[in-house]
Amino acid sequence: MSSLVLIVLLPFLGSCLAALLPANARNWEAWLAGSVTLGCAVLALLQYGAVAGGDVLRTTVSWLPQYGLNLIFRMDGFAWLFTLLVSVIGFLVVLYARYYMSPEDPVPRFFSFLLAFMGAMLGVVLSGNLIQLVLFWELTSLTSFMLIGYWHHRADARRGARMAFTVTATGGLALFAGMVILGQIVGSYDLDDVLVAGDLVRAHDGYLWVLGLVALGALTKSAQFPFHFWLPRAMAAPTPVSAFLHSATMVKAGVFLLIRFWPVLAGTEAWSLIIGGAGLATLVIGAFLAIFQHDLKGLLAYSTISHLGLITLLLGIGTPLAAVAAIFHTINHATFKASLFMAAGIIDHETGTRDLRQLGGLRHLMPITTTLAMVAAAAMAGVPLLNGFLSKEMFFAETIDVSGSMNWGLPLAATLAGLFSVTYSLRFIHEVFFGPPARDLPRVPHEPPYWMRFPIEALVLACLVVGVVPGLTIGPYLHLAVVSVLGGATPEYSLSVWHGFNLPLLMSVAALGGGVLLYLVLEKCLPVRSLDKVPLLHRFDGQREFERVLMAVTGFAGRVQHRLTSQRLQPQLMWLVLVTLIAGLLPSLRGVTDLRELPMALDPAFAMMWLIGGICAVAAAYQAKYHRLAALALVGGTGLVVCLTFAWFSAPDLALTQLAVEVVTTVLILLGLRWLPRRLEPKELGIQASLRDRVRRSRDFLIATLGGGGMALLAYLVLTRDQSESIADFFLEKALPEGGGTNVVNVILVDFRGFDTFGEIAVLGIVALTVYALLRRFRPAPESIHLSQQQDDPEGYTPSKDAEEGSLLVPGLFMRALMPVLMVVSIYLFMRGHNMPGGGFVAGLVMSVAIILQYMVGGTEWVEEKLPIRPHVWISSGLLLALLTGLGAWVFGYPFLTTHSPHPVLPLVGEVPLPSAFLFDLGVFSLVVGATVLVLIALGHQSVRSHRSSAKAGDTPDENRQRGAIRWS
Amino acid sequence: MNLLDHLIIVPILLPLLVGAALVPVDEHRRRLKVTVGLCSTFGLLATALALLWQADQVSGAAPSATYLLGNWSLPFGIALAADRLTALMLALTAVLACATLMFAAARWDRVGVHFHALFQFMLVGVNGAFLTNDLFNLFVFFEVMLAASYGLLLHGSGKQRVRAGLHYVAVNLAASSVFLIGVALIYAAAGSLNMADIALRIPPMSPADTHLLETGAAILAVAFLVKSAIWPLNFWLPGSYAAATPPVAAMFAIMTKVGIYVLLRLWLLLFSDEAGDSAGFGGEWLLYGGLATLAVASLGMLAAQDFKRLAGYSVIASSGTLLAGIAIEGVGATAAALYYMLGSTLALAAFFLLTDLLERIRDFGANLLAVTVEAFEAEGMVLPDQDEVGVAIPAALAFLGMSFVLCTLMLTGMPPLSGFIGKFALMATALAHHDLTQLAQVPVVTWLLLVLLVVSGLAGIITLMRLGIRLFWVPASHKVPRLRLIEAAPIAGLLLGCVLITVQAGPVMGFLQRTAEALHDGRAFAEGVMNSAPVGGEVN
Repeated sequence: MSSLVLIVLLPFLGSCLAALLPANARNWEAWLAGSVTLGCAVLALLQYGAVAGGDVLRTTVSWLPQYGLNLIFRMDGFAWLFTLLVSVIGFLVVLYARYYMSPEDPVPRFFSFLLAFMGAMLGVVLSGNLIQLVLFWELTSLTSFMLIGYWHHRADARRGARMAFTVTATGGLALFAGMVILGQIVGSYDLDDVLVAGDLVRAHDGYLWVLGLVALGALTKSAQFPFHFWLPRAMAAPTPVSAFLHSATMVKAGVFLLIRFWPVLAGTEAWSLIIGGAGLATLVIGAFLAIFQHDLKGLLAYSTISHLGLITLLLGIGTPLAAVAAIFHTINHATFKASLFMAAGIIDHETGTRDLRQLGGLRHLMPITTTLAMVAAAAMAGVPLLNGFLSKEMFFAETIDVSGSMNWGLPLAATLAGLFSVTYSLRFIHEVFFGPPARDLPRVPHEPPYWMRFPIEALVLACLVVGVVPGLTIGPYLHLAVVSVLGGATPEYSLSVWHGFNLPLLMSVAALGGGVLLYLVLEKCLPVRSLDKVPLLHRFDGQREFERVLMAVTGFAGRVQHRLTSQRLQPQLMWLVLVTLIAGLLPSLRGVTDLRELPMALDPAFAMMWLIGGICAVAAAYQAKYHRLAALALVGGTGLVVCLTFAWFSAPDLALTQLAVEVVTTVLILLGLRWLPRRLEPKELGIQASLRDRVRRSRDFLIATLGGGGMALLAYLVLTRDQSESIADFFLEKALPEGGGTNVVNVILVDFRGFDTFGEIAVLGIVALTVYALLRRFRPAPESIHLSQQQDDPEGYTPSKDAEEGSLLVPGLFMRALMPVLMVVSIYLFMRGHNMPGGGFVAGLVMSVAIILQYMVGGTEWVEEKLPIRPHVWISSGLLLALLTGLGAWVFGYPFLTTHSPHPVLPLVGEVPLPSAFLFDLGVFSLVVGATVLVLIALGHQSVRSHRSSAKAGDTPDENRQRGAIRWS
Repeated sequence: MNLLDHLIIVPILLPLLVGAALVPVDEHRRRLKVTVGLCSTFGLLATALALLWQADQVSGAAPSATYLLGNWSLPFGIALAADRLTALMLALTAVLACATLMFAAARWDRVGVHFHALFQFMLVGVNGAFLTNDLFNLFVFFEVMLAASYGLLLHGSGKQRVRAGLHYVAVNLAASSVFLIGVALIYAAAGSLNMADIALRIPPMSPADTHLLETGAAILAVAFLVKSAIWPLNFWLPGSYAAATPPVAAMFAIMTKVGIYVLLRLWLLLFSDEAGDSAGFGGEWLLYGGLATLAVASLGMLAAQDFKRLAGYSVIASSGTLLAGIAIEGVGATAAALYYMLGSTLALAAFFLLTDLLERIRDFGANLLAVTVEAFEAEGMVLPDQDEVGVAIPAALAFLGMSFVLCTLMLTGMPPLSGFIGKFALMATALAHHDLTQLAQVPVVTWLLLVLLVVSGLAGIITLMRLGIRLFWVPASHKVPRLRLIEAAPIAGLLLGCVLITVQAGPVMGFLQRTAEALHDGRAFAEGVMNSAPVGGEVN
């Protein structure tokens, strides 16, 4: 495996491993994380030879080549420098964290996320593919979220994490969109291809889009104005996290991105305006705000914001020399700011507070820490002979260079920001380490353990060495990075400490002097310590605005959402009808409509019949709301007209089936109707429909009319066209010779399209099971429970008693006598099905009618006592019979449901046609009976149960089982 | 015919056999029911994988297997046909079925009767809808699927469930009527019910017939659009999915995809480039509908106050993305949409299962308090006054947290999981169609699609983070859950699937591109189907 892949992979592997260690394995975790970070650093160092030779190392791992998304790990001088920065500071932070984290802290989570973050960060740095870069970019946001929220029992950690993630992830998504567009413009997502396409991109129509989106990503990540507010809030993270993520590395990802794409995007007016503008604003505002912070880490956070603004401004300036300064300052800032954060962590750790107002005089108790912090703070302030001075000097020089002699605004602002930075550095040092020793500290401070201080020592040493002999130390590496970014445009620059007396030096001196003066003035005139609000700028509170915007967005979404959808059924159905209407009209907008005349004369009798059917249907709809029984009867009327129509057009089969279906469904619905609560008409309640209701009803009426009219039109269109090429003729021809039956409808049902029938009987069975399962737990509404007049007999007559000795004795006898007759009819219909009207379906329905009749007169209990039915078995065996019949064809090497019509000669009877469809039909019969009876029982038992529950007495389930009926629990 | 030729119908017959056999089995014999049910689903998985392998052996667009029911020649009989897409959908269904059934076996199958039988019947319907090549047979399998889904949705009863369930039933019954009207019109126009046959009959069709056929197709599409939850036909979804028992809701993640599958299949088959004037009929409406759906779903996600509603709107967002995705022209976009579908279906199922476990750990009172605390926390920088020592997380909670994060990444399309790759591929292909040097000529809808893809992810993140922090991070707001293997394994398995298709994105996308190419070559598919001859000669 290539070492580039290993550099990225190693932290992730370490992260997985770290997560699995026990909660108190602090040392193990530290060793693991330490060796991983060191390993990455060593791996990076090993690449120096190749990188220094000017090579760009590349390793490609094929991932999604179809869309140009491959994992390309790419290391040039700049990436090398950044890799080293991340891994070395990572190592120091791990060492520091070992001592910083409390022994009780569950560190596996901490180290696991820390390593995962490092992996993601290294992934960003080494990405050679735009989309891969976005991928790792968002991973840094995610891991950072987890790290800020590490102490998630604290509300500030939760809020900080959420804000940081929301802002950076949003930026990340913008970056994602920007990268997709950039990749499409260039025609490749490969970074190397993009880097050489700068001219193409800058001249492209989409340049502004790309720039805006990439800038959004970079500015949010690097906490630039106006997105800077998340960073101070992110200080709720443990200090090692702040040192690593929020000063040295993650916030640098934005800057890294801008430097990486500097050759592609920089050099236009828009670039300078957006990037430079944001950088300038951040530089000054951040530095100003830092002065007035009372939290140690807050001060450092705003200082970080300001320094990032400085780098961004340098990049925004757009000259190569400014880019060099930007790269240089990125590294310098990482070293001094990481050490300052660690120092702040030590102070917090030792004293128990980070409040500047409480601290003071620590130099007596912690002399070494004091010295280290002072050096680092001096570097931050830009004191000569420290690294911060060098890059700041370059910055000042650049501001003068680009401004010309007339425009003093930029150098002035730069000096002002430098002045502020001196002031807050001074405040940091003075208020913590000098002055009267603090009292009432939560803990008594002393020097930290040596290895906790060691990382700071190392970093401060780096500041010092780089500051004194830059050319010998950082020089060649910086040059490497600069060349790899700027290529041929690399300018001449000098890293020497002394450039002679010039304007930048004057600015530095002014900043230093002015900063000290400002601090003294502030101490005297404006007691910073007692200020609760930042002067001038407290009105703009990004964090409060953020919360407000988020709340507003959520509220807005809720309101709009409420308008755009509904929880009620009626609007949903209205939309369904409307959309169907529109869909039906859609082709007519561009097509031709072919309206023909009806090919035959209208039979007045038929027309009359349909008129009645139509009236019934409309009347049913009219009555459905308040008079369900009437509506049901009217629907029955329409159903009868349909039956007659089938018969009229020579489809006795359909007519017969439809008739049986009408009867059975009407009876079942009637049984269900009993449990629906009565609806009172508005008249009865004395309510008048409001205007709004009327309008709504008119609208609905209009839609309904249009829907019905449209349907009629479609039906007319279908009925009047020629049916020449249809497959229908085939069925008529082949039914007898190949289907073995003269009844074409039945042959279609059980043979040609037996599979459909098979599915439909399954539907019937499923519906029955569903009704059963639903009604099993059904409890009727209280107002429906009371017994009807007929049932509520004062002499204690139950339906079953009634059937045996009461008023229903005679009808009961008739019904019982009718049962065998109906059964014979059913068998008759079943047997003749293949040739004449009939078949398993209608036979099953007739059989069901026979049973329903018994229920109607005898009552549930009486019937179930006498007639044990197990509908589940009927359903199951019906389905299985049909299935096995179909599977029988497999034995003979034919597909499922292939029919066979043997004509065996039986003794006495003679030749019997026995098509396999017969068995299939038997399955249909069985299922229809089972399903109908199951629904019947489910409905019928409602009355039994509700009576029982009202009488507080009932049969135990065991008794039910003995009767062979269904168990109710 | 040897036994292997029957493989294609096994996904329909196996669950039907098992379901029918389970109907009369006593509810007390749960162990038997669960075992038989799981045997069936794992059998389906094996079958689907075999079909998948078989499908990928074919080089062109022709189906790898056809099956003439009753041995009737086409176009008169009913035919099943399997190609890559079919096999893929079958496999996805089987994976979901295995996971959800296992999860249900932990407790949810007990809250009502006939769960296992209905579950198998639903698989019959779903698998049948994927396999059939006949419009009316498709209707039948839709009915099987819907009837079983009514039962499953109402499983466990309760006021909430019955209320939402009956809405679901009413809407779907209405949609079924629309379906039937559409089929009737198409039959009237084309004179055939076999999809392949209809596709071949379209090019030489008279304008009047074409008009009728398009009308039928548009009306038919409404039925599938209801199923695939396009706005404004999706009001029923959040409520009913939230009311369903979690394993059922998880299984329903495939239901919206059935609608999308049929749309994709039929649209590319009937209105392919050969269809003359009708080519690409209705495509732009699909795109607009998808975008509107995505927009409304984003708002819904932002406004969601609990996991279940959020999950419901995530289903809708996923549908919107897919509808818009399949409407983008080209093989690349179709493949990208399919890739997105794979990941989002798995993740949605995992998320629905997860919500059940999440509901269990939350403590209502403490939760309320946390919300209040968050809302009224003082403004400005709060200096830490609380303990700077973290809280150890028990393993069960850590598992839930990890699963939650993975689901979040998947559902919002955040890197690095397949949701991100899917969205990227969609965005890239959407842009790839246009000449970017003339930026003004790139249609607004393309930009809108880009924006919505990003914004919907953002909406998901904001809400999921809000809910997640409230649940996991607020101290003492949770009881430590008792996690059973049978509940954790399905979630882990589904998420592992997401990770797998992410890591193997290249090969998976290669397969999907072959799938999409075949889909776009509708004529070859249709001819392949029509060429299948019955056993023993032309006609039996």
